[in-house]
Amino acid sequence: MVRTCDIMTVALSRLIHDGDTVFHGVSSHMPMVAVMLAKATHAPNAAYVNIPGGVDPERPVLQRFTSAGTGLWDSACAAFPLMDVFDLSMRGGLDVAFLSGVQFDNRGNVNASVIGDYRKPKVRLPGGAGSAVLIPTAKRAIIWRTKHDRRTFTDKVDFVTAKGNVSDIVTPLCCFTMYEGELILKSVHPGVSIDRVAENTAFPLRYFEITETPPPTAEEEAALRRIDPLDLRNLEFL
Amino acid sequence: MSKLCTMSEAVSRIPDGAVVGLGGNTLNRAPMAAVFEIIRQGKKNLHLVKTAGAMDIDALCLAGCVSSVDAGFISYETEFGLAQRYRRSVQQGLVRANEHACYTVISALRAASYGIPFMPVRGLKTSDLRAVNDYFADVTDPFTGEKLAAVRAIRPDVSVVHAQAADARGNARFEGPKFEDALLARAAKTVIVTAERIVGDSFFAAEREKADVPHFLVSAVVHAPHGASPGACPGCYEPDGDAIRAFLNLADGDALLSWLEGRRTTW
Repeated sequence: MVRTCDIMTVALSRLIHDGDTVFHGVSSHMPMVAVMLAKATHAPNAAYVNIPGGVDPERPVLQRFTSAGTGLWDSACAAFPLMDVFDLSMRGGLDVAFLSGVQFDNRGNVNASVIGDYRKPKVRLPGGAGSAVLIPTAKRAIIWRTKHDRRTFTDKVDFVTAKGNVSDIVTPLCCFTMYEGELILKSVHPGVSIDRVAENTAFPLRYFEITETPPPTAEEEAALRRIDPLDLRNLEFL
Repeated sequence: MSKLCTMSEAVSRIPDGAVVGLGGNTLNRAPMAAVFEIIRQGKKNLHLVKTAGAMDIDALCLAGCVSSVDAGFISYETEFGLAQRYRRSVQQGLVRANEHACYTVISALRAASYGIPFMPVRGLKTSDLRAVNDYFADVTDPFTGEKLAAVRAIRPDVSVVHAQAADARGNARFEGPKFEDALLARAAKTVIVTAERIVGDSFFAAEREKADVPHFLVSAVVHAPHGASPGACPGCYEPDGDAIRAFLNLADGDALLSWLEGRRTTW
């Protein structure tokens, strides 16, 4: 049985093209491992940038408490701190930004701010971090979310923290992709039925053709064991 | 001129109601010893500024020191979960959450650092954050007519940063990830530096890698070994998970004060 975190990680990794400039932020262990996996397999020329500012760390040390620590800096080839990463995106030079949130609708709106009223929130969420400027300016904003239920994939988000260039969303059940401004189902993970995705999604599912998300290859499995021996890609499921 | 002083002296210069910029990022090199001293001194109505905060913001909220938080993200990242004290304070209406994109905090600090009142920002205009916050506005490019969002400058009354090395005059070097600390120092009216080690006055003169903050921006220097603990300080120590978990279990501000008594050192 393939673990959900492994399916999600390889799905995220395969969305990175060779030569892309790629960024992830805080609380982002799964995309962090996905970027390293992509660089170790099909995208060796991807340029990896991050919050501590270490470009393409050669021997990254994955830290459990943070995805913005010195482990991404110590073996880097160049210094390119967060403000430089944002500037890069603003001028159109960032290909991929990995971001998350708490609510998503089928127009690609992302809420990471509040449930309820902004000034008198029922729930104050951590906030969108870079989302409000990165999702509209990065060429592709790729979302991962480790929860898939009707409150997460909703008809209407409580608050639009960000919208723009969301290209794909990877969940524990499936992969969505944006098509002409609408989120459509692209693939379901092994063992997941389309009905199960539909039951857990508040907006109507639309699709042309659905495939099964390919499980990790032997090469990817070996690379994952080497890159992430502490299994930090599974941290959000613990 | 030596600006070395005790933590108590340095923090006593922060008035109630001040705009306070905090260095570091989440649990990485945040100025925790200074934060704890702010709590001991019972400061009130502080306006905190940070791109991505964690225990620093959470602790100050639990202690009732905070009026508003301007930040892009407040959470402990994944391992230690959400910033529940910050969250509860906002939900109870005790603290105003001024949500930014992390970049608009940077842009607001840059504006202050450049001596201008605001900074145009791309992207933001598609977010509800633009409409609901009065520190964002629309601006028109006078040359092309293009409409952009703008963020108002944030000029901290004081920025508090924790460095691995500083000299007594205030020259300070961040070893490893520098985050936004050098910008925080330039945007603020004054800077408090806390440091793992105090180096001699000629130390940086002999180094190839110079200080990131020059002495003339700084008004106080505190020798604070483990000054980022229970968070991490690159090159010096990892986070103290037991202490973080103990903090997360504290019931209220009084429990926090007694817990801090147990952590008191000789700064």
